[in-house]
Amino acid sequence: MSAPRGIAVVGAGLAAVSTCDALRARGYDGELVLYSAEHGLPYDRPPLSKDVLLGKSRREDVLLRPAQWYDEKGIELRDGTPVRAIRPREGGLELADGTRATADRIVLATGGTPRALPVPGGDDPGVHALRTWEDAERLRERLLPGARVAVVGAGLIGAETAAVAHALGCRVTLIDPVPVPLAAVVGDEIASALHSRHSAEGIEVLTAGVERIERRPGGLLVRLSGYGGSVAVDTVVAGIGIRPAIELAESAGLIVDNGIVVRPGQRTSHPNVFAVGDVARRDGHRVRHEHWEAAQRDGEAVAHGVLGLAVPEAGASWFWSDRHGSRLEAVGSMADAERRVLRGAVDTGAFTVFGLRGDRVVAAAAVDRPRDIKAARRIVDRGVVVDEGVLSDESADLRTLLKR
Amino acid sequence: MTTNSAVRVAAVGDIEEGEALKVPAETTGRADAIAVFHDGGAYYALDDTCSHGQASLSDGWIEGGEVECPLHSARFCLKSGEPQCMPATLAQRTHRVEVRDGEVWLHPGEESAG
Repeated sequence: MSAPRGIAVVGAGLAAVSTCDALRARGYDGELVLYSAEHGLPYDRPPLSKDVLLGKSRREDVLLRPAQWYDEKGIELRDGTPVRAIRPREGGLELADGTRATADRIVLATGGTPRALPVPGGDDPGVHALRTWEDAERLRERLLPGARVAVVGAGLIGAETAAVAHALGCRVTLIDPVPVPLAAVVGDEIASALHSRHSAEGIEVLTAGVERIERRPGGLLVRLSGYGGSVAVDTVVAGIGIRPAIELAESAGLIVDNGIVVRPGQRTSHPNVFAVGDVARRDGHRVRHEHWEAAQRDGEAVAHGVLGLAVPEAGASWFWSDRHGSRLEAVGSMADAERRVLRGAVDTGAFTVFGLRGDRVVAAAAVDRPRDIKAARRIVDRGVVVDEGVLSDESADLRTLLKR
Repeated sequence: MTTNSAVRVAAVGDIEEGEALKVPAETTGRADAIAVFHDGGAYYALDDTCSHGQASLSDGWIEGGEVECPLHSARFCLKSGEPQCMPATLAQRTHRVEVRDGEVWLHPGEESAG
């Protein structure tokens, strides 16, 4: 196949910007165009549910790259330019205004859209989602002191948003049908400690599903299933995950199954089309890896794929989440572990859980223990055979496990 | 940028390999604290506060000529201060470190040779 001369990246999140960055770093010097449906410079999403909602960060504080970076790297940023269709066979794409653009390789970084609550009233304008800058701005205006806020979904976005709303003085109800959310990913110990923290801080936590949302004078009524009651609020926030934005891929005939299916190098079923970030699902993986670092790594991987270079091995996944002044971090998936080893005491609030399979660490999760997590990533990635005594002994330096 | 006089920050052996010492702003006379790193048998110094977020690089993971920020895992070259990956996009200021007669001296405000 001939070397690429024109690459179109569709999307403007971290995966898209990382793709551009990595392509230039690997020596690609042809045309590179970033198509963003949103207006303005690409921004980082993690702060949206934290400092942006808190009003501590402005748009210019959360830009992925400053404006001059795009000029320096020779990246044409076409913001406010949605893509209507990709036409890889014809070597190009079609923009929303009907014009055509050429590209001999296309990288889809279209991300996802928040799932709407699949219940009557779930589309009420008082029901908010949190994915974009505009979402955050709209929601921030509603999170006033004393406002009654129901957050549906106590996963990462839901838990962070509930904590922020609480910090802003809202009266928060957090609703999830699962008694201990995240347990499969981080293990029971950490999931329980984190979830119980919400009620300790003064958030009302309900284990229930949502049956319907009714508009009432002066607010919304959230009717609960299972629990049976209802909650009267001013604002509802739905944090129940995303639906991958697969439309462009699907209409181009690419293989799509819970995301755009990709193989090493982020290759899709069409040789000139690649997919990165939240929209992509690695063939053989059950779930899409919808985390910040996964998006960054995809950018690195796709640069290799597009340029025909050997794709580097990706290490264990990592994510973080901030709530109530504490930080959760996790490496790998606790679901892969046969047993767990605790380091530190749960009641101190700062501790680490290692997940082992055989004599190796396959996952770790921690609250406020960044160095344990950094050690754990390296222990997992290097396949170190571990001594459980060192893992559980707080006085033992985990780095000794890495010096063999 | 003014150059402050050299500060003795440690004796050789005080800062273990793979560890760092945070030298407070009051000592360095600069706006930010300075982190002095010991990696691969050599000493390096960078501004302590990560150019991306409010985190102390002296609490980071030090290995292979780089420090990884404890907060969002941005990595910086210890020698040049240049960011090696996102989310950081700005370099950390470097400061010269000198080992003299078994002691580690920091020259705040004086860039390292790189």
